[in-house]
Amino acid sequence: MKVHVKNWHAIAQWRWDTGASDVDDDGEGDVCGICRVPYEGCCPSCKMPGDDCPLIWGECSHVFHMHCLLQWISTSASKQQCPMDRRPWVTAERKVDANAAR
Amino acid sequence: MIKIWSMKKNEDAAAKRRPKTSAAQIRVQKDLTELELSSTMKTHFPDPTDLLNFTLTITPDEGMYKGGAFVFSVNINTNYPHEPPKVKCTQTIYHPNVDLEGNVCLNILREDWKPVLNLNSVLVGLQYLFLEPNADDPLNKDAAEELRKNREQFIQNVKTSMRGGNMRGVQYDKVIVQ
Ligand SMILES: [Zn+2]
Ligand SMILES: [Zn+2]
Ligand SMILES: [Zn+2]
Repeated sequence: MKVHVKNWHAIAQWRWDTGASDVDDDGEGDVCGICRVPYEGCCPSCKMPGDDCPLIWGECSHVFHMHCLLQWISTSASKQQCPMDRRPWVTAERKVDANAAR
Repeated sequence: MIKIWSMKKNEDAAAKRRPKTSAAQIRVQKDLTELELSSTMKTHFPDPTDLLNFTLTITPDEGMYKGGAFVFSVNINTNYPHEPPKVKCTQTIYHPNVDLEGNVCLNILREDWKPVLNLNSVLVGLQYLFLEPNADDPLNKDAAEELRKNREQFIQNVKTSMRGGNMRGVQYDKVIVQ
C-alpha cells in the first residue's frame, strides 16, 4: 500500500515567559488583570497576538499587556499606579532568563 | 512570513469596516460569567443585547435594611475597566452613604477604583453598605449624624423611610417587600 500525503498542517505553540517560577494551571494566574484575556492572547485593541502586542513587567512583579497598562496609566484616575496593588508603577528591566535552556 | 503580514493587513482593513465588539463589552462579558450572585442580589437586563446597562436589586437578609428591596442602575461606559461603572440608587432612600438623588458613596466606585476590580467587587461593596452603613464618609449628612449620635433613633428612621414615610419634609420611597 502506498500513502500519498496530499497536504499537512503545521502546528506550533508558544507562550510568553512571564518569569513565574512555575506554571500554575488554575487558569487565574495567566490572564492580564485589566482585560482578562490570557497573556498569550492579545489586548482588546490588537488583532494578532505576538511581538506587536507585548507584555510589560512592573518592579512590583505584576504583568499586563503593554497596551492595556499604558491605557490605564494615561488616565488621570490611575495616578500612575499599578492596577493591581496601587503602588507607583515602575517598569521593570526585563531580566534575561538565566535558565532559558531548561 | 510574508503571508502572515498580508493576512494581517487584510484583517486590519476588515476591522476598520465593521464596528467590532468593544473592549468594554468583552471585559463585561467575562465579569458577568464570573459573577457570584447570592440570593440577596439579582440583576435584570432591560435590553438583553445590551450588557453595559442593567439594574441590580439588593434584598438584604440581615441588618437594619432587612426586608427592603433596593434597586440600582448600573451603567458601564466604553472606557471600562479603566473607569468604574456608574451606579445610582433609583429610589429615594434614607442611608448615610446614599444621597436623596441616589448617588452612592463607595470608595471603589470613586478614588479607589482600579481596573483589576470587577463587577463582582462592585456588587459585594454595594451589598456591604446595607449591612454596615458608614457614618464617616457621608452623602446624607442628617442620616450620618443620627447614626453616630443615636443608633436606636437611626434604626427607627430607617424603618419609617422604608415604609414610604415622610421625615423632615422628605418623602421616601416604599421599599418593603412582602
Ligand atoms: Zn490586557
Ligand atoms: Zn495590544
Ligand atoms: Zn503591582
